Amino acid sequence: MKDIFTIVFRLTVACLLAGLVMGATFIFTDQAKKHNEHAREQKAMLGLLGYSANKPPPAGLTMHALYRYIVSEGREVSMGYLLPTKDRAFVFVAIALDGTFRNATPVALDPAKAGEEGEREKALAAALGPGKELRYAEQTLVVTEDGVRRAYLLSGRFPGFKTFISMLIALEPDFTIRGLEVMEHEEDPGLGAEITQDYFKKQFSGKPFARLKELAVVKTPLPAEYQQALEAEKRGGLDPAAAAAIMDQYRDHDIYALTGATISSRAVTNGVKAMVGKFTYRLAILDRVLAEEQIAAPF
Amino acid sequence: MATDKSNFQLVVNGILNENPIFRLVLSMCPAVGISTTVMNGFMLGIAVLFVQVFSSCTIALFQNKIHPRIRIPTYTLTIATWVTVIDLVLAAYLPEAYAKMGIFVKLIVAFAIITMRLEMFASKESVTASFWDGIGMGLGFMFGMMALGFVRELLGLGTILGYDVLGFKPLLFFVLPFAGFFCVGLMMAFFNYLESVYKRAKQRV
Repeated sequence: MKDIFTIVFRLTVACLLAGLVMGATFIFTDQAKKHNEHAREQKAMLGLLGYSANKPPPAGLTMHALYRYIVSEGREVSMGYLLPTKDRAFVFVAIALDGTFRNATPVALDPAKAGEEGEREKALAAALGPGKELRYAEQTLVVTEDGVRRAYLLSGRFPGFKTFISMLIALEPDFTIRGLEVMEHEEDPGLGAEITQDYFKKQFSGKPFARLKELAVVKTPLPAEYQQALEAEKRGGLDPAAAAAIMDQYRDHDIYALTGATISSRAVTNGVKAMVGKFTYRLAILDRVLAEEQIAAPF
Repeated sequence: MATDKSNFQLVVNGILNENPIFRLVLSMCPAVGISTTVMNGFMLGIAVLFVQVFSSCTIALFQNKIHPRIRIPTYTLTIATWVTVIDLVLAAYLPEAYAKMGIFVKLIVAFAIITMRLEMFASKESVTASFWDGIGMGLGFMFGMMALGFVRELLGLGTILGYDVLGFKPLLFFVLPFAGFFCVGLMMAFFNYLESVYKRAKQRV
């Protein structure tokens, strides 16, 4: 009986100590970690749009962030989009689940601080008043060049083999996939972790939306010439024109599963399908509402 | 009880006599699953080396304070703490390395080799001895993983460290997870054979 108290006491102390160490490390490293993640995300976004440090984007190119929220008021649920307006202000557009317009509320938010979740939440709470519960879903970037839509950048996450896979997808204005980038994952190294390799993720590039809807995963081995074309950018060996010709030839093919990681391959394929599918559906509704209500969005 | 081995002997012991993979046959899941290439083996090896050394030192430091009936939970807690700390620090200050090593570090929490080393060695020995034992075990694990990775990458993909050396892929079989068992078994037999040859040669002299 005496033993059990010592055991409980020592275990509690051990847990508290471990928690203290981990918590302290988190506090010290959190800022730097967030900064790194942000820098990485920016780089990945520009990379997907075809720009890099050597090839800076043109001055007319702007990214407009669109934040989606789920608004619950009592038992009623609606979608809310926080979007910028032409005169550098923000507006929160609430749309019912059946696609009908609810209301639009101007939100006082400093554009420089819009990227921070806490700041957004504060501004939204002040603008919408009490009684509404907001849940942040995801952000989408609409890329415009001189007012014309050039691309969409979707970020989202979906379940992989073990935990969530965070993904960044770039779409053309006609919803053809431009490219994708895995931002975070915990798949097994050597197997599922190969989803970050060019020979897997580049298979999605150039798939039109109509094809994407029926996209499946096949377990046949990846043809050698296709693999060479997929990796041409990184490894060379093929001139760009020849690689593009081979890519064209395989444009209609399904996704070739990774050896030994069919589940991860399927998870990514289904995740990308779901993300793009839902986005196109929501964007159509949002565009219609914006046009009907004459809300001046910059995109 | 103090060990009678010198620091150097402790390190060599971890690499040769008590190699975690080929002698102690511990932590087989990662050895079989991850050792598909030399680079993967090296990355996991480095991650294990750090966690092993830090955990060994921590346990050796607090060995008198740990109640014998709750030692395993305490070990797991220690390992998990170090894994989290290393993961956070890498992500914050070495983003380039983290992009490559992140997934390996997070795998470590449940590795048998680390828990076993804490139980067998660090909980009884001094901090210095535990430090060198941790280094030896970490290096032994790393070399074992790299040796496995070398064989599997060469036979499965025809490459070494990503460079094409054979120009063709001999047997894709070797990259698949179950081939890891065959590789471990065959290499264990090979090393045992080498040792018996060495001993016989020594006897004759």
